[in-house]
Amino acid sequence: MFPDVVIIGGGIVGCSCAYYLSREGVKVHLVERGSIASGTSGACEGNILQWDKQPGIELKLGIASAFLWETLAEELPLDIEYVKKGSILVAENQEGLDSAGQIVKSLQNEGVPCQLATREDLLELEPNLAPDITGGAIFPEDAQVQPMLATIALGQAAKDQGAVIHTFTEVKNIELSPERSVVAVNTTAGRIPTRAIVNAAGVWSNAIGKMVDLDIPVLPRKGHIVVTEPVANIVNCKMMEAGYTQAVESDERGLAIAAVVEHTLSGNILLGSSREFVGFDRSVNPDVIRAIVARALRFFPALKNIHAIRTYAGLRPYTPDHRPIIAEADTVKGFYVATGHEGAGICLGPITGKLIAQMLTGQATDLPIEQLSLSRFDD
Amino acid sequence: MAEEDLIICRCEEVSLNEILAAIQEGARTINEVKRRTRAGMGLCQGKTCRRLVTQILARQTGQPMGDILPSTFRPPVRPIALGILSSVEGEEEDDVP
Repeated sequence: MFPDVVIIGGGIVGCSCAYYLSREGVKVHLVERGSIASGTSGACEGNILQWDKQPGIELKLGIASAFLWETLAEELPLDIEYVKKGSILVAENQEGLDSAGQIVKSLQNEGVPCQLATREDLLELEPNLAPDITGGAIFPEDAQVQPMLATIALGQAAKDQGAVIHTFTEVKNIELSPERSVVAVNTTAGRIPTRAIVNAAGVWSNAIGKMVDLDIPVLPRKGHIVVTEPVANIVNCKMMEAGYTQAVESDERGLAIAAVVEHTLSGNILLGSSREFVGFDRSVNPDVIRAIVARALRFFPALKNIHAIRTYAGLRPYTPDHRPIIAEADTVKGFYVATGHEGAGICLGPITGKLIAQMLTGQATDLPIEQLSLSRFDD
Repeated sequence: MAEEDLIICRCEEVSLNEILAAIQEGARTINEVKRRTRAGMGLCQGKTCRRLVTQILARQTGQPMGDILPSTFRPPVRPIALGILSSVEGEEEDDVP
């Protein structure tokens, strides 16, 4: 029979929406142009961080979603390699240390456990860290998942709850009634009548919005990652350079790089991160790779003899104010938007899915959603 | 040893059984098998197992081998030490004698 809702996009956000909606008994169809986790969710790191969130709604979303991930790790049908290993923020000068201090203060105000750390504290946690660092901070609550398995597991659990997933199916257009209510989605696999749509198309959500004359201000922002051969624990926590949030929050059109170094359960070390606006080009730029590796070696010189086996680039869905859009469009009835998470999609996927499910089923939302509206970008 | 215990991806030690399970769960392309099982994510980046996985997909799904989407190829071609990678110069091929 006809679905109650069609979700567009099979990444972490679309699969989270499918999971939480189908859990409420809603009949869900999910339409994905490629395969599950073939876009941004398959080209990222899988971080569940608190420290990089701005105090206010962004941090509240982060705290709520981290809690959901802890439960999901137990409930989902696949092992998603969830580890709450904590992050360290490392400064190489007084300026970096000051910024770490401000982050610790604002997180402690919101009740997130974290603390400043001396150079000695950090070297004790990470003996392979460069000895000439200044200090930093420790965030023990931060966690990670394997993002592709996490996305696939949410999709599979949604399917087990009755959701129908159409992969390799592209949306051609969207039919609206004369009163601008959602009527149907036309896809390469046929017409799907529905009264609600969730646009979870990530970096392509602007193109989907255009089908119903909505301007969704999401731009692709490219990030490169280097994967090493599997090695024994050279790196224990997730290490990030103080200055990472400045790199992410800068609106510079050019290239911003800050070191991110972390060990996965498979043994590989992931090195990041870069941010740049270069359209939809996902090709790997060797100059960016060299810059990322050089920055990682600055903090972990012991990595110099470890081999890189793979590099890739993903596109992060950027919004001008760095907050996601989780809302029903004011001008199209039944058209919901869940996008714009930039580099926080894995972290915020579950809370996004839960909020969308609550909105669609007429329940009170766990968090206030006014600041996540699409209309906040109206002039 | 049962056929199902055969190792298909040697780098990541993925067995035929695990690949069959991924196909059972709906994987139809090499990338989908890779994302679920890690087959092709190891040191050789699929040079050894890519053709085997294609054959298994063809056999299980009834598609001709030529119709199965190839996997994504990621640089570098061979593993390279990070210390060397960070210090190699940009493309200055003109300098090569």
